Amino acid sequence: MTKYFAKLRYYPGDPLEEIREKDLKSFAREYGVKISYEKIEKREMKDGLLMERTLDSHIEDISQEVITLSADQEDNFSNCIIALYKKYRCPRTPYSLLGSSEAGQKIAKKLMNVHGGW
Amino acid sequence: MKILALNGSVRQNGNTEILLKQALMGAETEGAEVEILRLTDYKIQPCRGCGLCLFRENVCQVQDDDVSFIFSKVDACDGMILGAPCYFLELTAVVKQLIDRCWILGHKIGKIKKPATVLIPYATRGWIPYVSVQSNVLLNVMGLTKINEATVCTQGISEVVLDEEAMDLAYGLGKEIAVAIRKKDFNYKGEAGICPSCHDRLLRILKDHETIECPTCGVRGKLSIFDGKINVRFEEKAWADSRFRPDVGYNHFTYHIAPSKDYFLRTKEERKMKTQKFKEYLTK
Repeated sequence: MTKYFAKLRYYPGDPLEEIREKDLKSFAREYGVKISYEKIEKREMKDGLLMERTLDSHIEDISQEVITLSADQEDNFSNCIIALYKKYRCPRTPYSLLGSSEAGQKIAKKLMNVHGGW
Repeated sequence: MKILALNGSVRQNGNTEILLKQALMGAETEGAEVEILRLTDYKIQPCRGCGLCLFRENVCQVQDDDVSFIFSKVDACDGMILGAPCYFLELTAVVKQLIDRCWILGHKIGKIKKPATVLIPYATRGWIPYVSVQSNVLLNVMGLTKINEATVCTQGISEVVLDEEAMDLAYGLGKEIAVAIRKKDFNYKGEAGICPSCHDRLLRILKDHETIECPTCGVRGKLSIFDGKINVRFEEKAWADSRFRPDVGYNHFTYHIAPSKDYFLRTKEERKMKTQKFKEYLTK
């Protein structure tokens, strides 16, 4: 397993722009990291809004877009995270890095304060 | 047509109360039935931050106060006039106390929009930078649409009666909200301001030093200088991020707040272990 591993969980409305797999592949090439993408969609249209009951759900199961990235080199990992934050801004909740490695989470969290987009 | 005035000042017959009553008198000439509540006459306990209004769906654990009564009055009115003085850069604490208790309203969707007007007496020009933040937040979470607001420079108790222009303004705002209800015209009628959504003039410079944000609405834009003047530009797509849009508010409660229950339950044992020393620290 790579040393630096992070899952960035973006919930509906969180990313500044549409997350596209081709953009992520481009980031992966540019920064020498591995990136994968998963979209979970559980919302249903009701009363004119896309709605979902999340109160008793597991964080991993609710609608979200998950960018998973990993790298062995800290610089590559950090620079890619900065680029992702710059494009989409950072995930927003205290549990939006759930599933990351300890080292990966530490970096991703630290970079939120400076490059998170706020 | 019912118009409710909420008074955020403790002073009886003070400038806020006078301005509100003057506005209500104006509203009455347009056929409104009026009522005024002084918030400090009611018990408004602080929000306990327990989150149970969300997790147990609409049950506030604070039952021994008058907040439900205040909410019922807001529910029953067709329009509202909020008045509060500015003592120190922002509105009085009772307004914020009420805002915090609005959590229970925050995750409701499909709130019926009603018009509201804001009246803010203050003493010193330049000492009111944050007054619109609280009024905008309170009105929005209560499902009210601000159609106008006015700040009035006045100082000693009841001195505002000496300011004919201010009294006319308040009277006119009262008439205006009654007409707005009758015509169902909730368009903003006040000074445009900078933010096209909340009309405040506050801006926050983000850490990229490229983006600015209306701190109240969360809408982002860009600054530029043209001919020595600061221009603020908000792109249309940025409006999708306004935190007072129904879908943005819904997403916030659905994806940022509600799932925290899962995390809270998962971390129960670890939290219990790690908080023990704090329970014992500085307690007798």
